Amino acid sequence: MNRKHFALLLLAGCVFVVPKLEAQIRHIEMRVEGMT
Amino acid sequence: MKQHLQRQSGVANVEVSLIDGKVDVTPKEDGQIEPAKLLKATYDSGVSVAELDMTASGRVVKDTAGNLSLQIKPNQSFVLAPNELSKGLEPLVDSATVVTVHGQLFKKPAGKQKKADASAPLKLLILEVKKE
Repeated sequence: MNRKHFALLLLAGCVFVVPKLEAQIRHIEMRVEGMT
Repeated sequence: MKQHLQRQSGVANVEVSLIDGKVDVTPKEDGQIEPAKLLKATYDSGVSVAELDMTASGRVVKDTAGNLSLQIKPNQSFVLAPNELSKGLEPLVDSATVVTVHGQLFKKPAGKQKKADASAPLKLLILEVKKE
């Protein structure tokens, strides 16, 4: 494998390990009444 | 009420502040939490919910009725109440972009005679679009 192919493989690997923002509920806050 | 909520699926932790009537719910990483069930569980424990706010990340989609929605999972999405912030998200419809928003999912109707309907479909009123 030549250096160019190795560099491309390395770059592709970096792209895939970048953390992706995941779809999810992160926090819920409620204001309640009648709590004792 | 704390134990009642902690038993709900997808709930990692519940913090209750008796002084200001605030309940903080931290979801588990598994993404199984359902705000409508939390609302019902709170009512079932004999406490009235005045307001429910949520911070969530998801994709902007249009549902079958043409409503702008925030899709968290293929089977979980929230219709967005129309406002300036939701209009600003329209260009992202059906794109792969994941946005994080903070919004109000439930607010008890004003007036004493009106009773809040916990079973009504929840609409997310976006209060802030978070930059990440």
